[in-house]
Amino acid sequence: MTAVGIVANPASGRDIRRLVSGASVFPTAEKANMVQRILTALGTVGVETVLVSVDLGGISAGVSRAVRNRPAKSTPWPQVRFVDDDALTDSAQDTANAVRRMVEAGAEVIICLGGDGTARVATAALLAGPGYDVPLLSLSTGTNNAFPQMREATVAGLAAGLVATGAVDRGIAAGRAHALEVRTSERTELALVDVAVSTAPYVGSRALWHPDALTELYCTFAEPDATGLSSIAGLLCPSPRDKPEGVAVRLCAAEQAPTVVNAPIAPGLVLPVGVAAWRPLRTGEQVEISTPRGVVAFDGERELELAGTTGATVRLREDGPLCVDVTAVMSQAARAGLLRASRTAV
Amino acid sequence: MTPTQPAQAAQATSGLDEKALLEAYRTMRTIREFEERLHLEFATGEIPGFVHLYAGEEASATAVCAHLDERDSIASTHRGHGHCIAKGVDVKEMMAEIYGRVTGSCRGKGGSMHIADLSKGMLGANGIVGGGPPLICGTALAAKQQGTGGVGVAFFGDGASNQGTTLEALNLASVWNLPAIFVAENNGYAEATAATWSVACDNIADRAAGFGMPGVIVDGFDFFAVYEAAGEAIERAREGGGPTLIEVKFTRYYGHFEGDQQTYRADEVARARASLDCLKQFRERVTASGRLDAAALDGIDGEVAGLIEAAVTEAKQAPTPTADDLTTDVYVTY
Repeated sequence: MTAVGIVANPASGRDIRRLVSGASVFPTAEKANMVQRILTALGTVGVETVLVSVDLGGISAGVSRAVRNRPAKSTPWPQVRFVDDDALTDSAQDTANAVRRMVEAGAEVIICLGGDGTARVATAALLAGPGYDVPLLSLSTGTNNAFPQMREATVAGLAAGLVATGAVDRGIAAGRAHALEVRTSERTELALVDVAVSTAPYVGSRALWHPDALTELYCTFAEPDATGLSSIAGLLCPSPRDKPEGVAVRLCAAEQAPTVVNAPIAPGLVLPVGVAAWRPLRTGEQVEISTPRGVVAFDGERELELAGTTGATVRLREDGPLCVDVTAVMSQAARAGLLRASRTAV
Repeated sequence: MTPTQPAQAAQATSGLDEKALLEAYRTMRTIREFEERLHLEFATGEIPGFVHLYAGEEASATAVCAHLDERDSIASTHRGHGHCIAKGVDVKEMMAEIYGRVTGSCRGKGGSMHIADLSKGMLGANGIVGGGPPLICGTALAAKQQGTGGVGVAFFGDGASNQGTTLEALNLASVWNLPAIFVAENNGYAEATAATWSVACDNIADRAAGFGMPGVIVDGFDFFAVYEAAGEAIERAREGGGPTLIEVKFTRYYGHFEGDQQTYRADEVARARASLDCLKQFRERVTASGRLDAAALDGIDGEVAGLIEAAVTEAKQAPTPTADDLTTDVYVTY
């Protein structure tokens, strides 16, 4: 049995950035449609079973209806099994639970629909257990999407299926991304794109959109065409994803800063950000977070309140999630003729 | 790295100094104590009519109303005690009103579902589901026309989110670009009907897009999350940016009304009380960060307990309306 897991976050694309920055709303119906398009693609390349996460937001309900009502003449879908072993908590824990269950059930690839935050939670679930070597394909349905790809779900589904069935070798298909690991005495968290420290005192509504409160920024990579906090580094000192180092930036109030970057820190927000200094962040290097009170944000979402006595460190890890390279997979599929059929002339 | 100290920026993000934090805690604690006491008192049979308790939802009313002042008005629901307290209605008068006494906010003629105090900008709890949002369009229009900088806030539930009055108000507020905030308090059930069944879209906030306004979802157990979202929405409205829909998600601790057997839900209340309680979360976070001292919060707990005890005692001792009061307060001349 070849199985693929699809975990879709019903909460992505709903936070306060709709209010403070005019960020787009990603409709639940479209998330359910994306899952269906992936199912079609997976069925085309011979995946037999697809494990789909359940939620109270309407995605799994939409997929369930589609499975029941699918016309007989349509492209056959793989067998769909909804992963409902755990009680829903309406929190990120649901994503973690689903990923863990999918790995236990033999998923060869996990497809994740969400934003940077969803991909972060899925990654942590994979790296913490037997899913360490299970490839992740992250598709964007969130707000800031520096990590997930903005791709047509059908093509992503084809690539995931070709990897899952072994039609494309994993050595070609997937590579390890880097990750940032933040440790305190009580918890360890991962970020896939950036770790930001702010003097904002509370986690609150999670998103960060006041650049003057930022004090430190650490990025796994920095792309000049990114959205979100990593764009600050991306516009200062671009650092590609495959480079074995990240970027560390010290931030300050714009009016006191020797350098000011006008960065798209969220969709619809291009703001002046004060920069005091920046430098490469080497893999393995452990940096102590020096802001005594404030919050730490992972991939743009405030998660950890620093209470003054809470020491925290950040480290760039080489062994982040094993990510499916859709372009590489589809290029290999073209070279090997995996989606090609020849007909003898008559 | 050497930290920089952009203190002003941090303040802009939280907007809460020690005094404001203490006040927020006092308001939430007052609502909780008021409702927990009513839960006990209603069982004695002394309180006429129905009561619908707001326990568990305190962060919503408190965090939203913390941004309001005398220019602003709110409209509430049948579950309105928390909104009244957060907008500054006198707690003793509220208790007397619920007991049906002449010392009450409405001289004992309204009861729990009709507590109002226009002097505080509290347009009233409202027995009509979806009755509040149209009222707020009126006050928001008045504020806009008079240039007061005021805003109107309509609190309503997941059941009211399906009512035509609410949807019409959302439309009108957007068409007229009113300084109106619509706070959908989604506690999961309209009486006994699950919102996951009765609300056709998946989030009430998703409806905002159809009316051309921002819609956001916040954790209703987290005072700070509601505070930030409400602050942004209210500031935007004051500056002429127009209306916002905020969906606050949480669980009510008691049934739809006192006496509700709650056969429609299982263990979610126990889980919410144990791990999601807005008061516990608030206390843990402000003390862990060293912003407030636990003793100060304990002191507030004691003061609030005394206030509620006095409110109940005085309400019970107050007279009820007489036959001579029957035709007073029927008509109001503005």
